[in-house]
Amino acid sequence: MKRTLLLLLIMFIAAGALFAGGKKEAVKEEVDFLVWNQAEPQSLDWHQIEGVPEHRIYYSLGEGLVSSNPETAAPEPGVAESWEVDSTGLVYTFHLRKTTWSDGEPITAKTFVDSWLRVLNPETAAPYAWFPADVIAGAAEYNSGEAGPEAVKIRALDDYTFQVELVGAMPAIVSAFSHYAFAIVPIHAIEKNPGSWTQPENYVGNGPFVLEAWEPQEKLSVVKNDKYWDKANVKLDRVVYIPTDDDNVGFNMYLNKEVDWAPEVPLAQLETVVLRDDYVVAPYLGVYYYIFQMEKEPLTDVRVRKALSMGLDRDTLVKKVTGAGETAAYSMVPPMAGYKPTPGVKGTIEDAKKLLAEAGYPGGKGFPEIEILYNTSDRHLKIAEFVQEQWEKNLGIKCSLINQEWKTYLDTRKQGEFMVARAGWIADYPDPSSFLEMFGSGKAMNGGKYSNKVFDENMEAAAKMPPGPERFSKLRKAEDVFITEDHGVMPIYHYVSQSMIDTNVWGGWYPNSMDWHPTKYIYKK
Amino acid sequence: MTRYIIRRFIGLFPTLLIIITISFFIIRIAPGGPFDAEKTLPKQIMENIEKKYHLDEPLIKQYARYMISVMRGDLGPSYRYKDQDVNYYIGKSLPNSLVLGSIAMTLSLFLGITAGMISALRQNTWIDYLVMSIAVIGITIPLFVIGPVLVYIFAMKLGWLPTSGWITGRFGWVTIIMPVITLSADKFAYIARLSRASILEILRSDYIRTAKAKGLKTSTILIKHVLKGGLLPVVSYLGPAFSAILTGSIVVETVFRVPGLGKFFVQSALNRDYTLILGTVIVYSVILIIMNFIVDIIYAFLDPRISYK
Amino acid sequence: MSAEENNKTALNEFDQPVKGVSLWNDAWRRLKKNKMAMFGMYVVIFYILVSLFAPLLPIYSFKHQIIDHQFLPPSLTKTAGELYYERTEKLMLALANKEKRELNSEELAELEAVKVQIATETEVLNGKEVRIHERRYLFGTDYLGRDLLARVIYGGQISIAIGFIGTVTSVLIGIILGSIAGYVGGKVDYIIMRIVDVIYGLPYMMLVIIFMAIFGKNILNMFLALAIVSWLTVARVVRGQIMSLKNSEFVEAAKCGGAGTMRIIFKHLLPNTLGVIIVFSTLRIPTFIMLEAFLSFLGLGISAPLASWGSLVGQAVDGMNLYPWRLFFPAAAMTLFLFGMNFLGDGLRDAFDPQGKNRF
Repeated sequence: MKRTLLLLLIMFIAAGALFAGGKKEAVKEEVDFLVWNQAEPQSLDWHQIEGVPEHRIYYSLGEGLVSSNPETAAPEPGVAESWEVDSTGLVYTFHLRKTTWSDGEPITAKTFVDSWLRVLNPETAAPYAWFPADVIAGAAEYNSGEAGPEAVKIRALDDYTFQVELVGAMPAIVSAFSHYAFAIVPIHAIEKNPGSWTQPENYVGNGPFVLEAWEPQEKLSVVKNDKYWDKANVKLDRVVYIPTDDDNVGFNMYLNKEVDWAPEVPLAQLETVVLRDDYVVAPYLGVYYYIFQMEKEPLTDVRVRKALSMGLDRDTLVKKVTGAGETAAYSMVPPMAGYKPTPGVKGTIEDAKKLLAEAGYPGGKGFPEIEILYNTSDRHLKIAEFVQEQWEKNLGIKCSLINQEWKTYLDTRKQGEFMVARAGWIADYPDPSSFLEMFGSGKAMNGGKYSNKVFDENMEAAAKMPPGPERFSKLRKAEDVFITEDHGVMPIYHYVSQSMIDTNVWGGWYPNSMDWHPTKYIYKK
Repeated sequence: MTRYIIRRFIGLFPTLLIIITISFFIIRIAPGGPFDAEKTLPKQIMENIEKKYHLDEPLIKQYARYMISVMRGDLGPSYRYKDQDVNYYIGKSLPNSLVLGSIAMTLSLFLGITAGMISALRQNTWIDYLVMSIAVIGITIPLFVIGPVLVYIFAMKLGWLPTSGWITGRFGWVTIIMPVITLSADKFAYIARLSRASILEILRSDYIRTAKAKGLKTSTILIKHVLKGGLLPVVSYLGPAFSAILTGSIVVETVFRVPGLGKFFVQSALNRDYTLILGTVIVYSVILIIMNFIVDIIYAFLDPRISYK
Repeated sequence: MSAEENNKTALNEFDQPVKGVSLWNDAWRRLKKNKMAMFGMYVVIFYILVSLFAPLLPIYSFKHQIIDHQFLPPSLTKTAGELYYERTEKLMLALANKEKRELNSEELAELEAVKVQIATETEVLNGKEVRIHERRYLFGTDYLGRDLLARVIYGGQISIAIGFIGTVTSVLIGIILGSIAGYVGGKVDYIIMRIVDVIYGLPYMMLVIIFMAIFGKNILNMFLALAIVSWLTVARVVRGQIMSLKNSEFVEAAKCGGAGTMRIIFKHLLPNTLGVIIVFSTLRIPTFIMLEAFLSFLGLGISAPLASWGSLVGQAVDGMNLYPWRLFFPAAAMTLFLFGMNFLGDGLRDAFDPQGKNRF
């Protein structure tokens, strides 16, 4: 027995030496960019994805009508060379460049029609189909099965002219077209290998890079695409995406120079990380907030909600607990170009105590125990513990913490079976409505069951208006009602995006408010 | 013996069937579904997705559908990883777990038995106390501490090893060192204690005394009698331990980025990826049953007292 | 062999209590000789005493936060105020250093303010005015400025409780099912053993996750979830013991005396397996503590702001390069206890079962 085992061990070691030796020879003078990607991608079929890690890969492998500018996240020409909008603001015409897939098949306006119909096709079951369904005329009807594909108002005027008609005038719609929900997919390659077209040997794409290898849970690597229209400006030879959902593992990889870009920093490391030169922090269109369950006593009372909000010292929280440069938030919407958010509920602890007394709970007496629901995470835990102590100390209110794992938490929140629940929101597109629309009466996301007619009316009015200050004033009115008057949720802080990347070595990477970093532009200095 | 093996083999299937059935229904009781996300999907989209994966059908029908597909050897599509099915992901990750697991197991067997033997032969001396203290420490420090501490020392501070990765990656086989050590720690400790105790028992037994009285060489006694008998409890520990090494190593796989099966056990349960959970359950059960089966047979060879009807 | 010998003695005397006492005396005598086991026992007793009397100990609250005191290192000599000042100064200097400058007037003013704060600030705790900056943190503090010593002690309370209650529950279930399977035999045995096989086959992690997802997360549910998946080994051990004893003469004698099945199991068979069960239980406790630690690592453990050793260690792993004491103290406390428990368990096994007949 012992001898067999020994033999086994020797075999393993020998095999190891062999493998290791074989690998080392493949070192060339190529520029590889290694990315810690936070999760194993769910899919490389752009019509099946919904997360940030997949989005990062999309920048390398795919390109829609437009791509995005690395500095400003504004739309840049992609497959479309230019575009124009008609006087109604509803019909967009895109002029496509003559380019091909990585296998040489031409990309035409028909490619866009077919791809967009595919994402909307109910049988595709695309999680992000709601995005095109929301904005393109006739798309929702097709997606719900009420109408056929002919109802969708997208047309190939000729081989290289593509036209799309919108439901309403939506701001920043061209920017939205850079999103993967509007991606094109190689229908001809999918038909050839329906089950395995995203495997490296079958992969066909139109981005600056093409798929080289994909080892589940280990790495996904992409190399330069020779057929890409702008290949002269693509500097990197290879991008390698390394998945790990543990932020300490990812961060250690960065510190040990095993990856070049870390898109996240563990909370426990911030104190020293903020002193480093390769730490890049930028405002990010997102908000961290606590939802009040509007149908549960005593949270039905607006004075109680306001008192709870005033009873939390957000400045200390962002300075000492989160500490990455987040800003204390009193409004749901972060400041944006042209939009001044609502002032929100501000007040001293004395004000909070007074409100609480008015509501019938002087000094917190008789106040029932408040439950704070959060999902498993270091950050949510720390914030909840801090809030708990604050409410107890400042208002004399007892509260207990309920930690649930992600899916249970989502379910509880959706059912509204909580008193106070933690939540976070990141804008799908840079517009205030992205932060507000989910709180309409009876909306699926509205677990706190907030409902106010004035809010609903203003949101509906804004949805039908063309972009501009008038529309913003409607949205602002809605936010005033929602936050400053009713205090339906308690904003805590506005996000910042954090990255570790040595910008002395890597150029073409810029912090921006959407945290979008197309690999196309990245180069080694 | 052959009949026993055949009977055991056939008996495997009803157990497996019950395990799959119970798992199938239990995981459906858990709140939340595979497609719930921070942004609640609109009703229409959710309906389309559920239709695509047949999740809109009655549970019994889904069960029948699943069982039929399992009989054909198809574990179904994963609900999270949409490009490939469960067979693919298990096929990719199981070999990695097997490689890591068998190296760790081999190492802990060697070191464990050696340490146990030294300890037993020098019972109640400082060597014994030292070895057993090390062994107990191996059991009492959680893997999720050992792993990161090793990374901190050997990768971050000394820079001798890469922080994480796998043998097929760019750092090659050196990446397996720390996962093996971490994974072996508690197994080594357990085996050392088991073998010490059983070797002690054998040393006290009559037949060893007889052997000594007959004037056999100490080394012969050690190898022929003591070790063979002393291995028995270790062998019976191996079955469950080996199966567990494939499933219980989520910590090691996370800390060292080993693309193995262990992560799927916990992650798929957290993701409510029903088919992937069931796939891992099936793999685990089959391995466990086969392992126990092999252990029983080895046991029969090592221990003449056991006979099979 | 020993079991048979014991049985013979028992038969000869025909007097259960006397035999019981002699068994215990015997075991105690053997245990006392084992130095490591005695050491283990003292350690365990110490821990249990500390846990039981935690509220009476002169320690700070385990959940009271003084946010200014976050991440203070352990110190015997320095007060919290001094450490707080040092830490503030150090962070400022690091920042100034990065920007290649001296401390500016604003920062110097802030440092002065901290000095004043340390000298004057008080807080009312339990009705008493306390000068919080004169506290001393022997084990340091955590990310919210809570006393780590208190957290380790209260965490121990919970971890030890989980160990004991989980063990008792699982051992009870195991004893009942195992003894029924062993004594009744036949179909009942077959069914119980198939249930054991099936539950063995279900990965317990998944069961625990789902159990907690379904029934909500509190300590009681966690005990139950853990116990339900861990009675299997006890059941097997007890079944084996009962099977080897059920044909012995004293059982025959009891049957002749007209005793019923339950009476035979609980009056005659179980007392004879008690030694094995006790030993098994002591070895089981560390397993439960480790399991809770693992669940905490996955975020499925105890509810904040309560802590267990596992949750303290799990959280501290993240910043161990910066705040090593946060990892060291809870990990050392847990390791020492498990160390003691393991040696005690080993010692008990040797004491009750000197020939090492029953091993798991």
